[in-house]
Amino acid sequence: MALTETVTPVWTQRLLHAKREVVLLAAIVLIGGFFAVSSPYFLTLDNLTTTLRNSVDLAVISAGMTLVIISGAIDVSVGGVLAVSAIFIGRGFQWGLPAPVIVLLGLAVGTALGTVNGAVVAKAKVPPIIATLGTMYVFLAVLFLVIGGEWISGLPDTLSPLVSGNLLGLPVPLYLIAGVYGVCYLLLRHHAFGRHLYAIGSNENSARLAGIAVDRVKIQVYALLGFLAATGALIYVARLRNVEVNIGTTIALEAIAAVILGGANIRGGVGSLLGALLGVLFIKMIQNGLVLIGVSSLWETVVIGGLLIVVLTADALKHGGPQRAQ
Amino acid sequence: MATGSIANAHGARRFAGILLRHMENRFALLLVLWGVAIVVMSLLSPYFLQLSTLPYFLQYIPVLGLLGMGQTLVMLSGGPGIDISVGSAMSLAGVFLGWLLGPLDVPILLACLACLAFGAALGFFNGVLINIVGIPSLMATLATYFAFGGLALALTGGRPQTGFPDSFAWIGAPGWLDIPNHVFVVFLPVAVILHIALSRTVVGRHIYACGNNEKAARLLGIKVDGLRLGLYTLSGTLAGLAGIVSASWLMSASPDAGEGLELLSVTIAVLGGTHIFGGQGDIRGTVLAILIVTTLQTGLELAGISMAWQLGVIGGLMILSVATTQAVRRRRAAGR
Repeated sequence: MALTETVTPVWTQRLLHAKREVVLLAAIVLIGGFFAVSSPYFLTLDNLTTTLRNSVDLAVISAGMTLVIISGAIDVSVGGVLAVSAIFIGRGFQWGLPAPVIVLLGLAVGTALGTVNGAVVAKAKVPPIIATLGTMYVFLAVLFLVIGGEWISGLPDTLSPLVSGNLLGLPVPLYLIAGVYGVCYLLLRHHAFGRHLYAIGSNENSARLAGIAVDRVKIQVYALLGFLAATGALIYVARLRNVEVNIGTTIALEAIAAVILGGANIRGGVGSLLGALLGVLFIKMIQNGLVLIGVSSLWETVVIGGLLIVVLTADALKHGGPQRAQ
Repeated sequence: MATGSIANAHGARRFAGILLRHMENRFALLLVLWGVAIVVMSLLSPYFLQLSTLPYFLQYIPVLGLLGMGQTLVMLSGGPGIDISVGSAMSLAGVFLGWLLGPLDVPILLACLACLAFGAALGFFNGVLINIVGIPSLMATLATYFAFGGLALALTGGRPQTGFPDSFAWIGAPGWLDIPNHVFVVFLPVAVILHIALSRTVVGRHIYACGNNEKAARLLGIKVDGLRLGLYTLSGTLAGLAGIVSASWLMSASPDAGEGLELLSVTIAVLGGTHIFGGQGDIRGTVLAILIVTTLQTGLELAGISMAWQLGVIGGLMILSVATTQAVRRRRAAGR
């Protein structure tokens, strides 16, 4: 599936083949319909744009997470990367740096932390889940070291157009999402980098034997995710204009959930950007809808967890029971 | 005098030789590491090396230890197996216990048994998802990490459960030598039983066999899936037990009691020499790793260093210990 499908089929054909995306879209329409009936506010333009503005950071990070999962890895530390980048952005404002410098600083920090993750995974050969669990807590320690349990608040609204602005009559977040997914799509489908990701995710040893610089590609994909996490941090600061202590705590798990819902295989080699985007839409819609129909937001994680279990079970049953040792 | 110093020098050289020879021996390495941790912590805080610290130090051991030992067994049997949901399972089991003992007023012993069974059911659910349905352990337990933790929060509205009967405090209360009772009645028995089960019984052999070579284990007729299912159930049961201990110690069951413990349990197992793809490791190593981690935690806390730093240090330690074992493995595989 992975390597052979890179030949672009006709659009309609692709839609037929993209079963998971169709199922997900149907689920979104169905559940969206339920929310629309239950709450008159749900389908208003106001609510939809608010939901869109609230989804940008998750959407951006999920794009990077898709690439990482396709390569057969995972990153549970993106929340920590987002947090540390956000601190530098917040501090940058407090130091009175000009906005472009702040943006560059934030992106550089995120990319650097992503590179650290990649290096621990690729060079020190620490399994991705262990490596990123570890670095997540190291990053959180940095967060506490810098802000010490207090919020960075009252930041200026210089970055706000990123979230609340409009361009040519459409909200800026739409352009952001389109841009990030467009670039990732090109990387994945029309660039050697993407092909290498699929190859590594499908069979790392063969990829190595085929002459792919596996370690370098792994570091690059983590660096890319770090960059996107920093973009998420920019969006976060733009939206909330503060940096709080528990920033980014759930975003890694939400992103992984979105990517898996979107049809990626956690074993690597399979994954879809469109699916991930629909997964994000699905999760955000459920979060928004539950609040609107008056269910406590504490139930969100239960719903996401339950959904994941259902989807994973369906996936596993489709592929025929437990996989035996290779 | 002269002969004494010669004997000393001779002894020192022999000691160094033994030390070097045992550097590959995980247990000796861990002992040294623990010694270093104790020295560093006593330098950081004058309060650390006092007898009064001991009960305080031991308070932390059972909860971490139970989860760490469960994690060790799950990892040992290969797959690769991991249980990210242990912390959430512990929180949910604790909340369940709080509900039994508080509003329902169930007798303590019965409630504890029910709590263990509940933990076992949570673990069994994980085991079914992983070994019967065939979801990779990491994803399955990540999903149940969400589900269990979310349920604990949602069912309680985020409020800690209180109103335990006074006699329930006994488990966590100081007993002989001011050492908390749960060390004697929970932690040590469980550690000894698991150690014996792992090193002296057929089931223990089978666990190693599954972790080392799953195919060979299957060909030998070992019921690999059933065994692993049992170990996930055991991990859940131990999480339930940890929930009981934690609730008795604090006399409250917080819906986020187990938060962050999944990381610690993985750290402990890995630091203790358990290979994360299975087949290597033991309970002795895990227990020593628990002592090391607890030494770091209490030491840093006594020195007034914040929780986040403790986690940061432990996160770094985990990466380092996996990286070194991986390096040693590769060197050995390359014929050094």
